[in-house]
Amino acid sequence: MKTTVTGAYPKISDEHQDLRRALHRHDRGELDASGLSGVLDESTRWAIGELDWAGLDVINDGQVRWDDLLAPFARAWTGCDRGPLERFYDNNTYYRQPVITGPITTEGTTLVRDFEFARGVARGQLKAAVCGPLTFATLAEDRHYRSLEDRTLAVADAIAAEIRGLGAAGATLVDVEEPALVAHPEHFALARAAIERLAAAGVPLALQTYFFPADSLLDALAAFPVAQVGVDVRSRDTKALERLNALRQTVVLGIVDARNTRVETEGELVKLIETALKQVPGDYLWLAPTTGLEYLPHDVAVRKLKALVAAAHATGGVKA
Amino acid sequence: VSDQVLLTTTVGSFGKPDYLQKARNANARGKLGESELNELERKATEEWVRRQERLDIDILVDGEMYRGDMVAYFAERLDGFRIGGLVRSYGNRYYHKPIIASKVSRPRPMTVDWFRYTQSLTDRPVKGMLTGPYTMLDWSYNEAYKTRRDAALALAEVVRQEAEDLQAAGARYIQIDEPAIHARPEEIEIAIEAMGVVTQNLDAKTVSHICYGDFAAIYPKVLELPVDQLDLAMANYGYRWLELFNKDPFTKELAIGIVDVHSHETESVATAAEGIRKGLRHVSKERLLPHPDCGLKTRTVEESEEKCRVVVEATKVVRKELARQASPA
Repeated sequence: MKTTVTGAYPKISDEHQDLRRALHRHDRGELDASGLSGVLDESTRWAIGELDWAGLDVINDGQVRWDDLLAPFARAWTGCDRGPLERFYDNNTYYRQPVITGPITTEGTTLVRDFEFARGVARGQLKAAVCGPLTFATLAEDRHYRSLEDRTLAVADAIAAEIRGLGAAGATLVDVEEPALVAHPEHFALARAAIERLAAAGVPLALQTYFFPADSLLDALAAFPVAQVGVDVRSRDTKALERLNALRQTVVLGIVDARNTRVETEGELVKLIETALKQVPGDYLWLAPTTGLEYLPHDVAVRKLKALVAAAHATGGVKA
Repeated sequence: VSDQVLLTTTVGSFGKPDYLQKARNANARGKLGESELNELERKATEEWVRRQERLDIDILVDGEMYRGDMVAYFAERLDGFRIGGLVRSYGNRYYHKPIIASKVSRPRPMTVDWFRYTQSLTDRPVKGMLTGPYTMLDWSYNEAYKTRRDAALALAEVVRQEAEDLQAAGARYIQIDEPAIHARPEEIEIAIEAMGVVTQNLDAKTVSHICYGDFAAIYPKVLELPVDQLDLAMANYGYRWLELFNKDPFTKELAIGIVDVHSHETESVATAAEGIRKGLRHVSKERLLPHPDCGLKTRTVEESEEKCRVVVEATKVVRKELARQASPA
């Protein structure tokens, strides 16, 4: 069993507020773009250091530069503007709605510079991440494509290009964050067609679902061409934990609730892991928070990671 | 007020004047005492009462000069809550998301003195303004209660106490806001049940403001929310929610948002008036209340005032049309 994280890490802590101050100074015109970029790099270094220090086996870069899951893509892609703020699913957290104004195109290098920077900093294994095509397509306002299907597949082609770029830069695993798949299970066939385009880029993918139960989709997910499937077993009432054997891929089990401050006891986590181990061999089970830890204050996020790693060790997870 | 049609109102908060914003920052840094801050909050409240009278708004609010966040304000005053570390809501905006750490109770009234003070300044009715139990739950971390329903009902009990105290203090309108009501549409029954606890003993007119989400996902079920009036953002959504009323008629009073609050620019009086006319296709003039889409706390004093001015002028335009229709020359 390996431990990992998904999504964004808190960008600041009580002690480390450099980024918050720098963004204020940037807004007031007191700090230029390159000055801000330097602070963003330092904050990324800080986040990666914390994730490494927590003893996780596979980390990401904390997504310090991402305002929201869609922002890096909406900013970089041609054919995409940025619209009003909207609530991000059932969180009191907001995203800027992408507005699709023309054909989406990208050179596929949107994430490369940041991935290379993070790889130079991370001590352990580093994975990359992209927004899931169905998630982007269902949250965007579309003034160009004629249907959800056309839009989703166009977004998928752009994301596939980004994954190719990451692969060329050395990425060996890419999280595809796709909450829309479990929010709208009725679109699973479209999501699968989109993921097939991503898989054609030739880099192993981890399809991360969260916020909603995956129960009704477990059998369908088994046929998705991905190396890993992430399942959130804490956000809603779900029996997915007892049905993980439906999957054929490595399961990334979201067992630490990244949206509640109550820190799980070791006993509670061990019980969840042992239930999962009855369904999935240890070699095919990774353990993670349910979603990005940025939904928590920094001090709680740190305690959640400690609880995760301790529970993994208690049930025989060995640090790679 | 009672013989007028299309009564105008606002959603609750207004822009804070610079001197108050500076005082709040100084207070947060420990450089200004509570009583000095309180004096300035009272001054700003009185200024807003005078502005609302001058603008000729019918149903007033205190403008929430003494509040920051609509959940944290109450969480800081209730037993059982703990204020957590900073969490990002968007961009570089962070807030202290409250934690329900143990059983919730209300040691003393939280808004009643502000209501009394504001009402003492004017003959026009002032609304009592509360945050609803479901939104309090949804915008907090719940460590204390086993289920979200348990937590919502416990919060409903303390909001009920506050609402009844507002009524006892003379409030004729009590607004209990539920902007998070569509966060999880499958939980609307919980929000309805909790609101029932809050309003069960109230004779005052009850109102609930709902914004920023997929209203279609909770309509028409939301008509079961036990309040007299729903207060909805419409301009920001291009009045698309009104189309829902074709299939399932709207059965409550409707406070209709006719100017977007998120932009610095304000719609023209003509555009806002057209919004009222759209509303009149679904709700009678006695039951339709024009107002801005949402609270105005993110706007400056001047922008807040301008948006209110457009609401009132647009309303007067439509009232004249209605009067002409009633008694053709």
